[in-house]
Amino acid sequence: MIDVRGLRKVYGGRAVVDGIELSVEDGEIFGILGPNGAGKTTTVECIAGLRRPDAGTISVAGMDPGREGTAFREALGVQLQESRLPDKQTVAEALELYASFYARPRDWRELAERLGLIEQRNTYFAKLSGGQKQRLSVALALIGNPRVAILDELTTGLDPAARREVWGLLEDLRGTGVTLLLVSHFMEEAERLCDRVVVIDRGRVIAADTPEALAAGVVADQRMSFVPSATVDLPDLQELADVHAATRAGDRIVVTGTDNVAAAVIIALHERGITASRLRVDQPSLDDAFVALTRHEDDPDDPPDGGRETATATTPAGASS
Amino acid sequence: MSVLRPGAPPAVAPRSAPAGAVRAMLRSEARLLARNPGVVIWSTILPVAAAIVLACIPSIREPSKAFGGLSFFHVYQPILVLFALTLLAVQSLPDVLTRYREMGVLKRLRTTPASPALLLFAQLALTLIVSVGCTLLMTVVPALVGASWPGNVGGFALAYLLSAWALLGMGLLIGSLFRNAKVAAGFGTLLFFVLEFFAGLWVQRPNMPGWMRHISDFTPSGAGAQSLTDAAVGSWPTALHLAVLAGWGAAMSLAAVRLFSWE
Repeated sequence: MIDVRGLRKVYGGRAVVDGIELSVEDGEIFGILGPNGAGKTTTVECIAGLRRPDAGTISVAGMDPGREGTAFREALGVQLQESRLPDKQTVAEALELYASFYARPRDWRELAERLGLIEQRNTYFAKLSGGQKQRLSVALALIGNPRVAILDELTTGLDPAARREVWGLLEDLRGTGVTLLLVSHFMEEAERLCDRVVVIDRGRVIAADTPEALAAGVVADQRMSFVPSATVDLPDLQELADVHAATRAGDRIVVTGTDNVAAAVIIALHERGITASRLRVDQPSLDDAFVALTRHEDDPDDPPDGGRETATATTPAGASS
Repeated sequence: MSVLRPGAPPAVAPRSAPAGAVRAMLRSEARLLARNPGVVIWSTILPVAAAIVLACIPSIREPSKAFGGLSFFHVYQPILVLFALTLLAVQSLPDVLTRYREMGVLKRLRTTPASPALLLFAQLALTLIVSVGCTLLMTVVPALVGASWPGNVGGFALAYLLSAWALLGMGLLIGSLFRNAKVAAGFGTLLFFVLEFFAGLWVQRPNMPGWMRHISDFTPSGAGAQSLTDAAVGSWPTALHLAVLAGWGAAMSLAAVRLFSWE
């Protein structure tokens, strides 16, 4: 549905996008992740035909965005960062106006209903909450019945409740045949919504996979913590084969080690007649993968990230920088 | 959970997008204008009120030697008509466009099949309608209270429309170029005073020194004021002034379209 090959865009002598390749299947929710300034927005603006690439080819639903015509605009819905509406335009007026631009628009009432905006149909744009504005933005991207929708930084600046609200909406869209290209720097968002993701850093793709596979690819220590029922001898724990480190943090014991660390520690404690309460075990997440992937070893300013040093080894990079 | 089927038949019957879109855009922009009438009202209330008040004072309607045999009203009515037109053109028109650019409205429009030229057209049309409305108030009401009609109504209308083309084109160009609404408003104000000077607001054209009147002849406001005055006293505007207006109109609109930036 979307195919990008060797995309390159240079601003002021600096390659903001430097050879990006990605391919999105029909009906997929595809995430473009990356730190601020990685080139995510430039990439999608090229895909949306708003910027002309300096090199590379792009095909969206079989069309070249560079020769954007009405057919291209009909097939693609775009929600861009920081795009507002006039303050005194109501939800219904905006939806009706934008519906009028398309040959086969959706029924705006149905769309407003599905997006939970029907109560606000006569509310001015300026009076909408952040979450409602974003939902309206999604509605405007979908009003033309597009085959592909690009949603850029959809939940940036939203409070957690509003963010979940928008995610719920996108989950509804899964499996409806609309191909979604989602730009984000929230790993939680990508983990929850995306079928596949690419991680972009400094204008290049440094990883491409499912969110689960990316997270699993990080050889980070598993980390557990608990409050023991009696005093624990730390060296005893450190001797266990699965344990890499054991430390005390207040009344909690923090242990890191292999995948089996939790079981090994619980058994060892049991043998000593100690129980572990308020137990917590953290899986390496996409967040860890992201940090590991986008950390620049040549950047002395990058804060060290305790306990995850091993993760850098998995950077399939060398590709980057 | 409900499903948004993309292949669902559209509830709205397929139609030719452009025709529907032109109407929808005009309606939408008219509604927004009606909800934000401030700029337009403040731009037009002073010249409209002045034209009506002046027309009510008999001595002002008498021919005067100070104005080469014309009455004070005859000299000032075209200036006031241009005053309202110029304010609408260089202040309210670019204000809407630059604010839409700042807000990303233009960028969003660009992602739809609708050409953003639609918005330009709607804004031009609405500004023209408002300014024609003001001009009717400034000619009909004075005539009702005893001032004379423009002697050559056809010439007056022609001069007015060509002036509107030249000045609205200027406003469109400001709206095309500026990214910051406040800077555009500041520039518009400066331009307004320059234009009004050459229209003869402070020194009436008959009283300008020759060299200054020659410069004024080639400005849109000077040529506009003279054309409207000629028509008001019953003759036809000169070919020179009409050509100057048409030239400005063509050059400004062309530049506005060429230099228009969406972001």
